[in-house]
Amino acid sequence: MILDDLAFRLNEYSGEEGTTFDALVTERGILEVVCSNNDEFPIHLTTTETQLLSVTPLFAVAEVQPGKLDELNRTFLQLSPAVPLSSVGLQGDTYILFGSMALSTRFEVVAHELEVQAENTIDVLEAVEHLLA
Amino acid sequence: MGVLRDMLTALRGGASEVGEAIVDANAIRILEQEIRDAEAAIGSAKQSLTRMKSSEIKLKREMATLDADVADYEQKAVAALNAGEEALATEVAERIAELESDRNDKGTEQAALDAEINKIHAMIKARERTIQKNKRELDKVRTVQELQRATESVSRNFAATGSSSHRVSAALERVKAKQENWQDRMQAGEWLEGEEAGDDIDAKLRAKGIGASGSSGANDVLARLKARQAG
Repeated sequence: MILDDLAFRLNEYSGEEGTTFDALVTERGILEVVCSNNDEFPIHLTTTETQLLSVTPLFAVAEVQPGKLDELNRTFLQLSPAVPLSSVGLQGDTYILFGSMALSTRFEVVAHELEVQAENTIDVLEAVEHLLA
Repeated sequence: MGVLRDMLTALRGGASEVGEAIVDANAIRILEQEIRDAEAAIGSAKQSLTRMKSSEIKLKREMATLDADVADYEQKAVAALNAGEEALATEVAERIAELESDRNDKGTEQAALDAEINKIHAMIKARERTIQKNKRELDKVRTVQELQRATESVSRNFAATGSSSHRVSAALERVKAKQENWQDRMQAGEWLEGEEAGDDIDAKLRAKGIGASGSSGANDVLARLKARQAG
């Protein structure tokens, strides 16, 4: 299973900027990765037949200040092009930051992408923090 | 069929609850069945293609033989004419006409076969497009399902914490505090490295007898004390 292998390698790895990873495959077969550059918002990895999906759940719709939802959505749409490798989306009632890579992506690239996603999470949240309750 | 449109319809219909199937299982089954059908069709098409190809090769070989025969008989007819054997030349000409008619029949047959082969190639391409398209659609469905799965556990946590106020702000603050802490430590590390490097230079200078005199040993102290006493 690719996620088990990825978990093993991530736990051993240290990125170019010194980022380390705590990776764990959950019972439900999701790989949970905590990057040392952002340990508050873990990245959840899963696969389809062709892709590796990386998801960072951000916050629930209920956490948005009343009446600020439109502004938040507009802000996210404006932000999206600035973070081309990760997109913001709505999954059910949860806002997520997500990216996808081909299953054949080299390990070092995957690790780097995760590092960037963890960093983007902070940037994106800072941009909308004032709209959250 | 557009899976994305179906998904949005399902979402608008209220299937937004986490864990709820937002893509009709039937739609997935249809996509999968279409892929299997197309693959089976391609399989049998490739078999008939192989058969047709071998017929075509056989036809081409027969046509080449007929062409050679025609050329051969033409030479012989000319030779007969040259020898003044008009009747024989006529007989040979009749034979040539027969051969040519046979060759034309085979040519027509081959053209028809070619057209059929092209049709099968086009059919295979069309089926392959269907397969690829359905696979992409399925991948979209799987992506959505997997995203849903990957988000689910944490959303439950959001719910459990009752989306306590300032949860995100507090988390951001903690992350930033850690980052600053880390940067401070990095800077401290750099400072220490600089210090150690400086020590090295001092040591090198001492070794060369430059700058601060070497270890002020007991002898130096004694010499200093004696000098004071004398003075």
